[in-house]
Amino acid sequence: MIDGIPPSEEGVQLGGRIMVVIASSLYFQSGIRDFTLDMARNLTGLNDQWAHRFQTIVDEMCNNAIEHGSKPGDEIALTFHLKPGEYLEVVVEDQGTGEKKLTASELAALVEAKKHTSPVDIHSLRGRGLARIVSRWTDELEFTDRKPSGIRARARKYFRNIT
Amino acid sequence: MVTPIELLYHIEPLAEGNDKQVFVIQFKGELDESNIDNTAKEVYKLLDESANDLPVLFDFSELGYMNSKSIGYLSDWYTRLGEKGSELLVAAAPENIMDILQTVGLDNFIRMFPSVELAKAALLAPPAA
Repeated sequence: MIDGIPPSEEGVQLGGRIMVVIASSLYFQSGIRDFTLDMARNLTGLNDQWAHRFQTIVDEMCNNAIEHGSKPGDEIALTFHLKPGEYLEVVVEDQGTGEKKLTASELAALVEAKKHTSPVDIHSLRGRGLARIVSRWTDELEFTDRKPSGIRARARKYFRNIT
Repeated sequence: MVTPIELLYHIEPLAEGNDKQVFVIQFKGELDESNIDNTAKEVYKLLDESANDLPVLFDFSELGYMNSKSIGYLSDWYTRLGEKGSELLVAAAPENIMDILQTVGLDNFIRMFPSVELAKAALLAPPAA
């Protein structure tokens, strides 16, 4: 669904909101990555490095929602917000039905704990996605609990902080 | 859909006429949540079966994407080879792959080179004093 994206006279600097709802399945991962990269390149004016970075941010947040927040077949909602010249944001919402479910505060604490760990001291396969990649490449990263269950993860990057 | 990934591998001399060799594994495709666990099993098997003193060079020239879990495996493969007395090197990673590897700090302990040839040259060079 595309909502509120008015074309400008110049045909650039489009803004608004795009919502995508997918089933909780790895089946859709590569498609979401392709969509995100194309959107970041073509709608936001991000350079190639940051378009790829935003692709990774979305992929990692989706992985987390699938692993911790949803049982197979549940819906995961992704909402992209673009404010031209200001920021690009993604919100990922899960149902909170995953086997390894966490509360928002538990997830935030995990991210915070691993954020400052030296890379040579991380020996697990996990623990780099949200803590060392998403948190470093975004300016705002927050988790909130949803009613009746689930987590809403929001990550925002301000264009003014892109060099 | 499982994201396509293919491993191509061979042993080649470090330089013409030189009897030192390197085990080159080329990754073609993307590494993500859908394929990394099965790909990792194949890589572990290759590493475990390789000779103890044979350095292993990952050619990432045809790799389009790596997620954080595949980076976790990369770190573990490096450790596994180190325990065997060998070394894992990375070569020819595209800009987006180098960007993420540097962001998580793997370049602090895995040697990375712009090309396979430069990596092979580094393996031929005498160790720094």
